[in-house]
Amino acid sequence: MKDSPYLFTLVSALVTVLFIVASCAAMGGLARLFVRLAGGTRRRQEEAYAGYFFAAPWIVGFLIFVVVPMLASLYWSFTDYRLGHALKPVGLENYARLLFEDREFRGSLVNTLFLTVIGLPLQIGVALFLAVLLNQKLKGERAFRATFYLPVILGFNAAVLLCWRLMLNASNGIIDQVIRSLSRAFPVVSYLNRGVIYVVEVVNGFFLGLTNGNFTLLGKVLATGFPPENRVPMWIQNPLWSKMAVILLMVWICGSMMLIFLAGLQSTPRELLEAAEVDGAGSWKRFWGITFPLLTPYIFYNLVIGMIAALQIFEPVYVLYRDNQPLAPSAYSMVYYLYQATFRFNEIGYGSAISWLVLVIIAIASIIQFRLQNRWVEYDIR
Amino acid sequence: MTRTLLRLLGRGALYVLLTAASILMAFPLFWMISTSLKALEEANAPRIIWIPSAVVIAAYRSVLSDPDFLRAYFNSAFYAALALAGTLISIAAVAYAFSRLRWPGRNLVFALMLSTMMIPAQALIVPQYVFFNALGWIGTFNPLIIPGYFAGGAAMIFLLRQAMAQIPRELEESAFIDGASHLRIWWDVTLPLVKAPLATVATFLFVAYWNNLLGPLLYAQSTKLHTLPVYVAQLYNINNTTQPWPTIMAAAVLTTVPLFVVFFFAQRFILESVVLSGLKG
Repeated sequence: MKDSPYLFTLVSALVTVLFIVASCAAMGGLARLFVRLAGGTRRRQEEAYAGYFFAAPWIVGFLIFVVVPMLASLYWSFTDYRLGHALKPVGLENYARLLFEDREFRGSLVNTLFLTVIGLPLQIGVALFLAVLLNQKLKGERAFRATFYLPVILGFNAAVLLCWRLMLNASNGIIDQVIRSLSRAFPVVSYLNRGVIYVVEVVNGFFLGLTNGNFTLLGKVLATGFPPENRVPMWIQNPLWSKMAVILLMVWICGSMMLIFLAGLQSTPRELLEAAEVDGAGSWKRFWGITFPLLTPYIFYNLVIGMIAALQIFEPVYVLYRDNQPLAPSAYSMVYYLYQATFRFNEIGYGSAISWLVLVIIAIASIIQFRLQNRWVEYDIR
Repeated sequence: MTRTLLRLLGRGALYVLLTAASILMAFPLFWMISTSLKALEEANAPRIIWIPSAVVIAAYRSVLSDPDFLRAYFNSAFYAALALAGTLISIAAVAYAFSRLRWPGRNLVFALMLSTMMIPAQALIVPQYVFFNALGWIGTFNPLIIPGYFAGGAAMIFLLRQAMAQIPRELEESAFIDGASHLRIWWDVTLPLVKAPLATVATFLFVAYWNNLLGPLLYAQSTKLHTLPVYVAQLYNINNTTQPWPTIMAAAVLTTVPLFVVFFFAQRFILESVVLSGLKG
């Protein structure tokens, strides 16, 4: 049956469905039994049966695909387990190696930090800007909205990312060609371009130095000084730029954040804005005084979601950098590193330790954000 | 007078800004199509060629005559369709339990489900890989499809639950008095009332499956099992002296066509179920 992968999977799917239906009935029956033993009424028993019957797919899946794997990987993270080899416990060795020796892991941490600190505010800023533009009761608003959302749908398909690889090429990519011809035509653009290049390379040189404790690249950038006229961004050829290409993609797919801001904008009470207008507040003042504070819960939501998304970025790194080994680590996200480190030699023990560390980092970052939110998120302005 | 003039100017500027932003956002798609219709020399030319001087469809011919591409297309469709069917139905069932039924422990289970939204799926791939390996499922489509059957995707359950929670009780109560079972009510009464949210969820799921790269890379490595993203990604080979960009982009266009079609029909549902669409794809 394994000769035909399609037949094999169809049969497996059928067996799975039967298994799920059986576990629905079993779980419902069990719940009914419990309620009866607890002395529940007939109606209560039937309710428990129905509830657990319908919820069973998730509960069973949660046990099989989340709880058991997490417990297993917690155990494996303290062993040297490699697929096909006997395992032996090694205590905290994996974690020690990750935290104190593994440069690429530290690199992926710093990269995620970079994307969160520099990329995420840009992404959220553009999303908010577009949402404010769309919220002006315009004709054709739907078409604009759909256009801004389209990249979210297409965005991380490998095919579309390959198109970005074509566009980001420094020698004949369209983006740098446009920058080149604009710089040639307008001196202002040239200075702007070189200024941006300088800032980007200094900042990235600093962050790269953080990852490997070696600041020579930063030194080189500073020694060269202000970039010469013929410089263009080296999106996918230079470790100083690899993360910037990822940020560009993040900004491009800001449509889902934009929708969330739109929802927030549309729930801003009109009376408040109108009252302010009567009091003579201009639109700028109204935005920062009323609309923005009311949007802070939405900004907070986007920050939390965006941070988790930043550490999961996989497809762009794979498509843009996978075959460029000296440069790829400068763009590794934590999930990409997890994939790379675990499946290169099927080191399950080590990969488990990375997974758990990632979970702990998410938990800590979320707790910090939830703590900080009291300082700036306004839930009650009305 | 000056006030209305200023207002008009403001409106004009707004449209200019929005149009400029739209062009930037849609540009990669334009470039993909434009490149796919160029001759090889034009696609690799070191100067700007916005639209091909002559439309060449050789790239589409070569892609469509490649059996590997056609098989990858079929594989992607097979995987997405089978996974989507199971995931959608199971999610609809679970959302029903969380919104229309009252049962002991419901709030606890619901809170548990919401908390799984904070766990990135990839943090579980390592132990899941071991599990699928033990089942002998590496090198099959099963690991890509079967987990979805267990109502995979907490955010999607939440979205559907919110929609179902708004249905008035009377509708199903009258059906209940007529002696209909819960299965019957779920299928005949509740689901038809949440068609738009179901379409939204189906779209998100389809997009996620169609774009999935990590899963197929891990589990479906052999050429026979390649899905479109894996096939397209390996068309670019750094060892080539000139990349066959028109061919790559023709494959890219054909890969994204289903996404366009789905988005075209589903966009009004998606863009309206604004608040809950926080998770991409």
